Amino acid sequence: MMFNGAKKYGPKMFDQTMEFNGGANNAYTREDVTVYTNWFPASAADVIFDLEGDRISSLSIAPEMVESERGVVLSERRTGLENSPWEQLSQTLSGTAFLEHPYHWPVIGYEDDMKNWTQADLERYFKTYYAPNNCVVVVSGSLKFDEVKRLAEKYLEPIPAQPAPPVVHIKEPEQTGERRVTVQKDVATPYLMIGYHTPEAKHEDYYALNILSDILSSGNSSRLYTSLVDKKQLATQVFTSYGESFDPTLFQVYAVTNKNIDVADLEKAIYEEIENIKKDGISENELQKIKNQKLMGFYNQVETINGKSNNIGTYEVFFGDYKKMFDAPANYNKVTVADVQNVAKKYFSKSNRTVGVSKSNTED
Amino acid sequence: MKQIKIFSLIISLSIIASITNAQSFKVPPYEKFKLPNGLTIYLMEQHDVPVINVSAVLPAGAIYDGDKAGLASLTATALKHGTKNYSKTKLDEELDFIGASVNTYASKESSGLSAKFASKDKEEVLAIIKDLLMEPTFDESEFDKEKQRLLVSLEQQKERPGSVIGSYFDKLLFGEHVYGNIIQGKISTVNPLTTTDLKNFYKENYRPDGSAISIVGDFSTKEMKGILTTLFSGWKKGTKAQSNLASKPINKPTENNVLLVNKEDAKETTFYIGAPGVSRNNTDYVAIEVVNTLFGGRFTSMLNDELRVNSGLTYGAGSRFNALKNGGSFLISTFTANKTTEPAIDKALEVLKKLHSNGIDEQSLTSAKNYVKGQFPPRYETSGQLASLMTQMFWYNFDESFINNFEKNVDGLNLDKAKEIIAKYFPKDKLQFVLIGKSAEIKKIAEKYGKVTEVQIKEEAKKGF
Repeated sequence: MMFNGAKKYGPKMFDQTMEFNGGANNAYTREDVTVYTNWFPASAADVIFDLEGDRISSLSIAPEMVESERGVVLSERRTGLENSPWEQLSQTLSGTAFLEHPYHWPVIGYEDDMKNWTQADLERYFKTYYAPNNCVVVVSGSLKFDEVKRLAEKYLEPIPAQPAPPVVHIKEPEQTGERRVTVQKDVATPYLMIGYHTPEAKHEDYYALNILSDILSSGNSSRLYTSLVDKKQLATQVFTSYGESFDPTLFQVYAVTNKNIDVADLEKAIYEEIENIKKDGISENELQKIKNQKLMGFYNQVETINGKSNNIGTYEVFFGDYKKMFDAPANYNKVTVADVQNVAKKYFSKSNRTVGVSKSNTED
Repeated sequence: MKQIKIFSLIISLSIIASITNAQSFKVPPYEKFKLPNGLTIYLMEQHDVPVINVSAVLPAGAIYDGDKAGLASLTATALKHGTKNYSKTKLDEELDFIGASVNTYASKESSGLSAKFASKDKEEVLAIIKDLLMEPTFDESEFDKEKQRLLVSLEQQKERPGSVIGSYFDKLLFGEHVYGNIIQGKISTVNPLTTTDLKNFYKENYRPDGSAISIVGDFSTKEMKGILTTLFSGWKKGTKAQSNLASKPINKPTENNVLLVNKEDAKETTFYIGAPGVSRNNTDYVAIEVVNTLFGGRFTSMLNDELRVNSGLTYGAGSRFNALKNGGSFLISTFTANKTTEPAIDKALEVLKKLHSNGIDEQSLTSAKNYVKGQFPPRYETSGQLASLMTQMFWYNFDESFINNFEKNVDGLNLDKAKEIIAKYFPKDKLQFVLIGKSAEIKKIAEKYGKVTEVQIKEEAKKGF
C-alpha cells in the first residue's frame, strides 16, 4: 500500500512522480525488516524526500486500492509457490522449527489471512511500525552531507514519533528433539532442507557460523559440494544460508537429490560432513580461503551506491551501529579454526534440527 | 525474502540499457587493439577498487548447435572441467582460495566468460583464463557427472513455468530458424552427447578471430597489454570460415498461434504474447526502448498499471524487445490465477490496442525520457558492467557514441516519431501466444485467441516443441 497514495501525492502519484523525475523504486520484506529503496538522479533529491515524507507521515489507505492490492499480493504468493520448489517446504520447515516465536509465520502471509485483512488491520500496522523512530534512512551517492541534512530536516523531521512498537517478548524454547516434515509437490527428485537453531547477528558466534556456512557450501571446493555433488553424486545442488536477524534464527542446509538416489542417503551424507567438522575441525587453509572470499565479497558490496546503502543500513539495524561495517573484516579475521569447530559442535546436534523433504509421492 | 514489486526484475532481463545522463556520463577512456590472430582486446583502467573484471565473447552460441540442442551450453560449462595445466579440482581450489570467480556460459548467439578477481592475483587468474579458452581437455568423467546434473535440471525446470516459457516462445516464433534453438538443450538431445561432440564443437567455434576480451579495473594498460599479448598470441586462427546461420531469413507469422503447455498441477497461468522484434543495430533502437518503457518497461507502464494496479490480476506485467544480430522478438509477459486467465489476456490485448488507437501524450513521453535517462548511470557503475559493455560493443558492432549520444537521441524523440515507432514496431495482429497452465481449465479460453497447439510440459516432442 506504500505505493498507493498519501495526502499530497494521491493514488498512483508516488510512482508517476518518481518516474517522471527519473527515479525508480522497489522494496523487500524479510522476517525482521521492510526495506524501501529509491534510485534517482541527484537533481531529483528534493522530490524524492517530499514523496517519502508524504507517505510516511500521511499514507492514505483507500478501500478500492486495498482490494486491487489484495489481488496483487495473492498473485505474488501464488507465483512464488508455482516457480520456487523451495517456497512451500521452507515455510513448513520454519513453521515447525519455530513453534512460538513469530519467525513461525511466512513473510508473505497465509492465503486466508490475505483474503481477510481489513482496512483497520493495515492502518494499525502502518501507524505502529512506519514511524520515524522505527526507521533508518541511508543515502549514498552524489549528494553532500549538508544537503541531505537540510532535506531530512525539511521533509522528515516534522513527522511525529509514535510509541515504540511492542517488543517481541517470545523466546523460542530450546528444541529438545529432531522434528521432521514432509511436503507433497510434483517434483522430479526430492528437495531436502535441514534447519538448526542458531543465534542472532549480535551474538558472539555470528561470525564463526557465517564462516562455517561458507566452508560448507561456498564454491566448488567447499565441503558439501565436493563430497555430495562431485564425489558421491548424491545431490545435483547444495547450498547453505545463515543471515543476520534480530532474534535467534535458523542455519539452513538445502540440497536437491540426484536421480535414482534415496533422499535418506543424501541426508546421511550431509550429517557425515558435519560430523567430520565437529570431530576434526577445519584446516587453516580452508579458513584463509573463506577470509579471502569475504574480502572480495566486501568489494562487491561497496562497489555500487546501492550496495553501500544496503550494507550500511544492514549494519546499523542488525548489528546496532553502521560503524560495525568497518569492523567486519577484522571480526572475520579474528575467527580461528577452533571457533568454527566449536560452533559446529554447539549448534549442529540432532535434537536441535528440523528436517524437511519435498517429494512427489509422500505415501511411500 | 519477499520482493514487493517485480519490476526491476523484468527490466533487468531486457538486453542492454536505454538512457543516459550524458552531461555526466561518458564511456571512460579505453584502449582497443587486435592481435595478429584476430583476437580483439579492450583495456580500461578503473582504480577505485583493487579488483579486475574480465569479459570475453566468442562466436560459439546455441545457434551452432545443429540438431544437438544444448551442445554450445555444455561445451561452455565443460571448459572448466580441466585444462592442460589444471585438473578441475585444482582449478576450483585455486580460484576459490583467492576468492576469484570465473564463469563460462553460452547464450543464443555467442558464448562467453566473465571473471572477477583481486588485482594482485591478475597473473595467476589470467593464466587460468588463457588455459580455459585455449587448452580445455574435456575430461570424460567430469563430463559424465555434468551431463547427469544437467539432465536432472532439465527435468526440474519443467516444475517452474518461468524457466521454460522463453524457450517455448522462441521455438514458436522463430520455428526452424537458429534463433529458435534452445540454449539449455532438451533431455532427448543432451542424452546422446559425448566429449567428442564437445571437442568438435570447441574446435570449430572457439577461435580468436571473431572473439573479444575486455578487461576493466585496477591495472596499468601498458603492463596488461604485454601480459595479454604473451598469453593469447599463440591462439591459432579458425581453420574454416563459420557459416552465418543467423542471417537466414526469419519466417514471419501469418496468423495468430497459441501454444498451450499443459501443466497439471498449475495454480496460475504464465503467458507471453509476442511477435517478431528488431535486430540490435536497428537505427530506431533507442526510440523503441523509450516507447516500450511507457508501454511495459516500468512500474507505471500501461501494462502494469492496468493489469496490476487497476485490476489486481497479477503481481507484475511488462513487455520487452529482445534484440539479436539479425532479428529479435517483442513480447508481453505476465501471470495470473487459473480463473482470471481470460480477463488477464483480454486486458493485455486491450492495452496493446490502446497503444495503437490512443498513442501516447507529451506528458508521458517526457516522463519516459526522464526515466530512461535517470536510470542510466547505475547500469555502467561497476567495472564488471563496463567490461560487458565493451564486449557488447564488439559483438553488436556499435561504439561509445551509442552511450555518449544517448541523451541526445532520447531527447530527439518527439510525438510524431513515437507514433511512427508504435505503428512500425509494436504488433497489431498475427500474435504468438504461449500459455503454460492447467489445460483442463484454460483450453477453451486459449481457443479464443488463435489456432491452438497443445503440448505436455513433462513430455518432449521429437520435433518442434
